[in-house]
Amino acid sequence: MLFRQAGIFHTDYSADRALFPIPADRWMIGILLLLALAAPIYMNTLYLSSYLLPWLVWTAGALGLNLILGWAGQFHLGYAAVMGIGAYAAVHATRAGIPWEIAIVLAGITAAVIGSVFAFAALRVKGLYLALSTLALQFVMDWTISHVPAISGGTQATLQAPDIRLLGWAVTSDAGLYYVALVWCVLVTSFMLNLRRTALGRALVAVREKDYAAAVIGVNSFYFKLVAFATSSFIGGVSGAILIGTFYHAVTPEQFSVDVSIQALAMVIVGGLGSIIGSYFGAAFILLMPGVMNSFISWAATKFGFSLGIETLAHLPQAFYGALIIGFLLIEPLGLGKIYNNIRDYLLVWPFGYTKK
Amino acid sequence: MSRAEPALAWNFETDTTLIRVLAQNAEVFPDRVAMREKDKGIWNQTTWQQLLEIVLCCAAGLEELDFKAGDVMLVLGDNRPRLYAGMLAAGALGGYAMPAFPDATLDEIRHFVHEAGARFALAEDQEQVDKILDLREQGATIEHIIYDDPRGLAAYANPGLISWDTLQAKGAELVIRNPNLRNELIARAQPEGPAVFVHSSGSTGKPKGVVLSHRNLLAGVRNAYRGGAFQFGESILAYLPMAWVGDFAVTMGAGIALHFTINIPERQETVLQNLREIAPTFYLAAPRSWDNLLTTIQVRMEDSSWLKRLVYKFFMALAISAEKRKLEGGQPTLKQWLLSPIGEWLVYGPIKDQFGLTRLRGAFTGGEAMGEDTFVFYRALGIKLRQLYGQTETSAYNAIQDLNEVRLHTVGRPLPGVDIRISDAGEILVRSGSVFSGYFKQDEATRESLEDGWLHTGDAGYLEPDGHLVVLGRLSDIVHTAKGERYIPNYIENRLKFSPYIKDAAVLGSGRDTLSAIICIDKEAVGLWAELRGISYISYADLSQKPQVIALIAAAVKHVNSALPHGLQLRKFVCLHKEFDADDGEITRTRKIRRNVVEERYKPIIDAIYGHQNTVLMKAKVSYESGEVGVIERTLSVQEA
Repeated sequence: MLFRQAGIFHTDYSADRALFPIPADRWMIGILLLLALAAPIYMNTLYLSSYLLPWLVWTAGALGLNLILGWAGQFHLGYAAVMGIGAYAAVHATRAGIPWEIAIVLAGITAAVIGSVFAFAALRVKGLYLALSTLALQFVMDWTISHVPAISGGTQATLQAPDIRLLGWAVTSDAGLYYVALVWCVLVTSFMLNLRRTALGRALVAVREKDYAAAVIGVNSFYFKLVAFATSSFIGGVSGAILIGTFYHAVTPEQFSVDVSIQALAMVIVGGLGSIIGSYFGAAFILLMPGVMNSFISWAATKFGFSLGIETLAHLPQAFYGALIIGFLLIEPLGLGKIYNNIRDYLLVWPFGYTKK
Repeated sequence: MSRAEPALAWNFETDTTLIRVLAQNAEVFPDRVAMREKDKGIWNQTTWQQLLEIVLCCAAGLEELDFKAGDVMLVLGDNRPRLYAGMLAAGALGGYAMPAFPDATLDEIRHFVHEAGARFALAEDQEQVDKILDLREQGATIEHIIYDDPRGLAAYANPGLISWDTLQAKGAELVIRNPNLRNELIARAQPEGPAVFVHSSGSTGKPKGVVLSHRNLLAGVRNAYRGGAFQFGESILAYLPMAWVGDFAVTMGAGIALHFTINIPERQETVLQNLREIAPTFYLAAPRSWDNLLTTIQVRMEDSSWLKRLVYKFFMALAISAEKRKLEGGQPTLKQWLLSPIGEWLVYGPIKDQFGLTRLRGAFTGGEAMGEDTFVFYRALGIKLRQLYGQTETSAYNAIQDLNEVRLHTVGRPLPGVDIRISDAGEILVRSGSVFSGYFKQDEATRESLEDGWLHTGDAGYLEPDGHLVVLGRLSDIVHTAKGERYIPNYIENRLKFSPYIKDAAVLGSGRDTLSAIICIDKEAVGLWAELRGISYISYADLSQKPQVIALIAAAVKHVNSALPHGLQLRKFVCLHKEFDADDGEITRTRKIRRNVVEERYKPIIDAIYGHQNTVLMKAKVSYESGEVGVIERTLSVQEA
């Protein structure tokens, strides 16, 4: 009922393949972009810098992981390590006096190189074995970072990240940092949106569906898996660098531990494999839901007057949060993105039951 | 309101020709889109300048093939830009372009071709070329066959076969070599010359050839414009059969004179999708098409989820009752007034959007009478549906309903420039610049129907004191029961057809004591109904005789009866084992019922109904495409309504 489709026709093929042919979609994206741009005006700094900003950066990171998991169909349990490589590379580069703009590109390249070198070895196996080899990447990186003082600055050390400088201007305000995150997130999103209509995107999907079937029709599956690893590592590396630059302002090995890898994986799976809007939902769900649950339970406890022990209060949100994930995946195994699409489809054919022909 | 600049465009002059107006369009707005054709997923556009070039090259090419003034060109195929261009080219050379229904049987086309002595044929594709080659074998005089789509025709070595592209290339060469040819071709045709040669629908006999001159056609367009039917620069979908005068009068007549954007669907089967893509601003359809669309909506709602169905039923009932009040001259109630914007957002808007009816400024039904319920349904949706009354003989435009003055029983006022009077016998007579000058080679028929410039339409009707015209039906259709009750079968049939389960109906009862009906169920709607209830069936015939289906139809008949006077209620009905088919001659190509054929063919059924039998054994001769003739026997049950 929201999506009006009468009068949409195309006189050439490029228009026929537009990303958003339906005006309602364009309106929605336009309004969301405007809201995002105006966020520093109407949102208080606490929400802006501790909820909205990390959500955007993590969305970009999740999109990178979605590229390898959702598009190319390859397991990756060491995504946080890749982000960590980017983070450390960027911090070291800026400390060495390299401008931040170049440093984050270096961070991406470093992550891409290490990621794909590792992929060379890992891609010789498939499925669960690949999952385990990527997990190895996580542990190798963890170990390397904490045992090479040149990288970590010593065991248990925290490496301070210099302030971001863009074209010589120091970006220190909350709004400025937020815009950096927003621009990166929008960039990654538009890259991912366009990916599905490129030869690369179609090849990745072919590999995902069945790699040897793809090989039969002339898609070099090893090559495309490698490209997928490299591209996703690049996005992960830059996202890691931006996470440090805009949010943490300092880097420690714990920020990119195996838990974080699992969390990133959860974002993609809860959001929906191969779904772009799903990555937004997934990142929001994983990042924000524990906090929301916490406040909800404390509020409910005072409202209805039942007293909870400190212990219970700490663990109950976690239990609810886990139950929610299971619940959502039971309702729709393809994730939140698919739930959104179901609602959209329902409205698209409204008031009829389904599209005909 | 008007987007265009009438000062630059056609100034309503009728002393000109289509090709001259086309040339004027090409000069005034060379780069504006004249035609769009959907092909391989995208809409290919042709500007007015390009269209003029195509028509001129085609005309030059035709002349090279010795097409002279007075020659007849048969046009066979679905709506295609090249077929339209070919018709314009024939008109520019003073020849007759004679479109025929693409699904017409060979016999029908042979009749047209022989009568007119056609020497040329313009065919859409291999299928139509094959038909024409068959005709030629049977002695038709067709010398040159021009085809649009070359697929499958490469190996044909028949003489006189030439592709459109070859013809164009030849013509283009001539136009370049002889610079005067362009202007000469544009100026050659005369206003009195033929623009198109169509056939009247022939619901009462053999179709008669009607030649409309450029002047007739343009006068009709002018009258309709002044009557508010359309404006300059409308966007239309050219999907009506090219052999129906309505198509030529809208797509070519008004389309060129008022520089419409003419959109041509990819195929007949994709019309609904293409309609949604284009969302035209002007849409003319036969009542049949509106009925079909309504059935589609009803069937798809039936198949929707309960929540959607609930919302739909609530708001449609609301809108229909509001619309009925409005048509009776009343105001909507407060509740109706308050809820209508919500209904528009929830139900009416989305339904219109699903079928591309959101931009309609002019929505018309024409060709025959429309069922009242269908009419009210679309008005309730917010589509300003209006009736258009016209004949082939009057270039399609006689009278239309005014936007703010729609009444159920009238077809509106006569258009400016159209004089209407009622003869002593109650027949509608029309005099206008758009009235043709006579049937092709049928002087007697011409004398019968044209008297001092007044056309005898054959329709019965009367003028209301305020000038609104009421059309009762075909003069020959008005019949009386044995008890002297006067009725028009068509009126009752239309009421029956509002039920989604009834596709066609023939009401019987002339000279009998009571009325009864032969009913053809709607395969799609009843099929789905049966499917949802787990009723298994093997064929249309089988489905039509299922007791549950007969009960369903009986309920629909009872519903219609409740609104009819006692003497005109249907007492009995029979569900027919097949649909009425134009190939069997039971209906015309424009789907008007041929009563004499139905009454003759289904005499056993009629006898059974009035002979108070409970069942009737119907033997039907079936001619297969292979030429074999078989007999099908069916026992049909006669039902009390």
